[in-house]
Amino acid sequence: MGSGTKRKGWATGPMWGVFLLFALFPYMPFIGKYLSLGTEVLIWSLFALGFNILLGYTGLPSFGHGAFFGIGAYAAGIYFLRISKGVWGPLLLSVVVAGVFAALIGFLVARKRGIYFALITIAVSQVFYFIAFRWDEFTGGETGLSGIDRMDVGLPGLLQIKLAGPLAYYYFVLVVFALCTLLIWRIVHSPFGKVLQAIRENEVRASYLGYRTAAYKWGAFAISGLFSGLAGGLYTLLINAAFAGVLDWTQSGNVVMMTLLGGGTVNFFGPILGAAIFIVSRDLLSAYWESWMLVYGMIFVLVILFIPSGILGLIGGRKQTILR
Amino acid sequence: MTELLSFTMNGLVLGLLFALVALGFTLILGVMQVINFTHGILFALGAYFAFSMQRYVGFWFALLLAPLLVGVVGLILERLVIHRTYGGNPLFGLLLTFGLATALEEVIRMVWGKTGYSVAAPKFAAGSLDLGFMIYSKYRLILAVLALVVILLVWLFLEKTPYGAIIKAGASDAEMVMALGKNLPRMRSFVFVIGAILAGVAGVIAAPIWSVRPTMGTAILMPAMIIVVLGGIGSFWGSILAGLIVGLSTSISVMFWARISDIIPFVILICVLLFRPRGLMGEKSILEV
Repeated sequence: MGSGTKRKGWATGPMWGVFLLFALFPYMPFIGKYLSLGTEVLIWSLFALGFNILLGYTGLPSFGHGAFFGIGAYAAGIYFLRISKGVWGPLLLSVVVAGVFAALIGFLVARKRGIYFALITIAVSQVFYFIAFRWDEFTGGETGLSGIDRMDVGLPGLLQIKLAGPLAYYYFVLVVFALCTLLIWRIVHSPFGKVLQAIRENEVRASYLGYRTAAYKWGAFAISGLFSGLAGGLYTLLINAAFAGVLDWTQSGNVVMMTLLGGGTVNFFGPILGAAIFIVSRDLLSAYWESWMLVYGMIFVLVILFIPSGILGLIGGRKQTILR
Repeated sequence: MTELLSFTMNGLVLGLLFALVALGFTLILGVMQVINFTHGILFALGAYFAFSMQRYVGFWFALLLAPLLVGVVGLILERLVIHRTYGGNPLFGLLLTFGLATALEEVIRMVWGKTGYSVAAPKFAAGSLDLGFMIYSKYRLILAVLALVVILLVWLFLEKTPYGAIIKAGASDAEMVMALGKNLPRMRSFVFVIGAILAGVAGVIAAPIWSVRPTMGTAILMPAMIIVVLGGIGSFWGSILAGLIVGLSTSISVMFWARISDIIPFVILICVLLFRPRGLMGEKSILEV
């Protein structure tokens, strides 16, 4: 889809600004040296953008999306260790497996709304945590999977890019992130995306217009699962390992938090801002204070109470929020 | 055979304990439409309070005082912040209580330390009892009886008192109850406190059979949520039935194939939801709009 970026409507000014900012990040003074933190921000931004298709655009409160991130993370690790070493194979499997599970779970929840939707996504997503913990021949149990190296990518004989170094991997993730961001932008601005927004505003009315809303919600769930899985696969390659911790339900809370904090419910770029602030401040807090979870929880509460439309919502003066 | 019997008994006891936690959770969910993530913390606080005071006041007083203290904590949380989420998107209450629970779990770590403690069963309940068909732990029997008594008290309260009728009416049409001149905010606080006390009682009686540790709240929350959805949101008997199903299936599966014991409740939940979307005893309610 490379040349497509030249067409109008494919990317806006702010989007190029975001890409440029991330492209220059490694060369910025002071902060540029924290490369792996930057990579983590990109990965979580991708996860949150994918998640926001569901939360911000369809208005569905999934609290179990950490499962798809975790499934992607494990799928990449298992492909690398059991099938064949590489980069594309593990990432492809992440997307496929997470997408399949998202489609299965989506089928179960597509007719639900509100509290039922939230509770069922929480409950069902937890099953994967226990599977990762118990099926140790496959998932490594408590110790998880490790030794997942980053191999070279490129065309054999022509071009080889070594991803082992942090800088090369940062740019690799940036390219994947940029392509996915463009894709998500297209999805939410397509006719399909418009129907999702109609469902968010009033599902009954959308169904009276003849749209099969359950099918659209199912689609949104599966698509957001695909991107979450890809983010998980990229994360495994970043830390060279996959642990059951990636499937912990706090991960699901984190992605909701990032999306809301940045303002994902009022602005396409909200999840990116939210992920950046979240990852950086978590890193700072946990480095200086052992009990940082206390601060984290309190900030969570304060954000929910006082800036529910997120930072971009606050700046844009948009008070509306899906929370009330 | 005796092995199966003892696993079944363990499952029943576990199920009653789960049901107790789930009952408070579903009460708050049914009346205020809040998915209360702090419910697990309230359970843990019950255990910790009892652990701290048992030395001084003994088991029975701790059983009475600790849940009341948990009720006070619940009241403070509800009046301070949680009441703001009533009537909002379910995600609002869920996220707010998720943040609160995260912070409070850290508070527990700061106050009582990161490591767990084991709590001895009270002296009168140590050892086992010969039931005729099997020999079983005395404390677990007492636990089961206590749980049954509390469940019965909640049922009597909801079904046989005028206050219970108001609460049920408030769950189905809050506006109408207000229009009839009932103090809705006070009623909601009251329901929250009842839920908190139920979690506290469960925490106190669970302490001797599990160890008391900071993560015990998070650990009980997941079965509680499964039970509530499985039984049908807001359904009293649904919670009890689903609690027993989850307790029994978890316990008995340990005997046959230990590694699926954590997963089996989820499998049951998914199977039930495919055929009964509102759970075993759930009815169509305002929660779906």
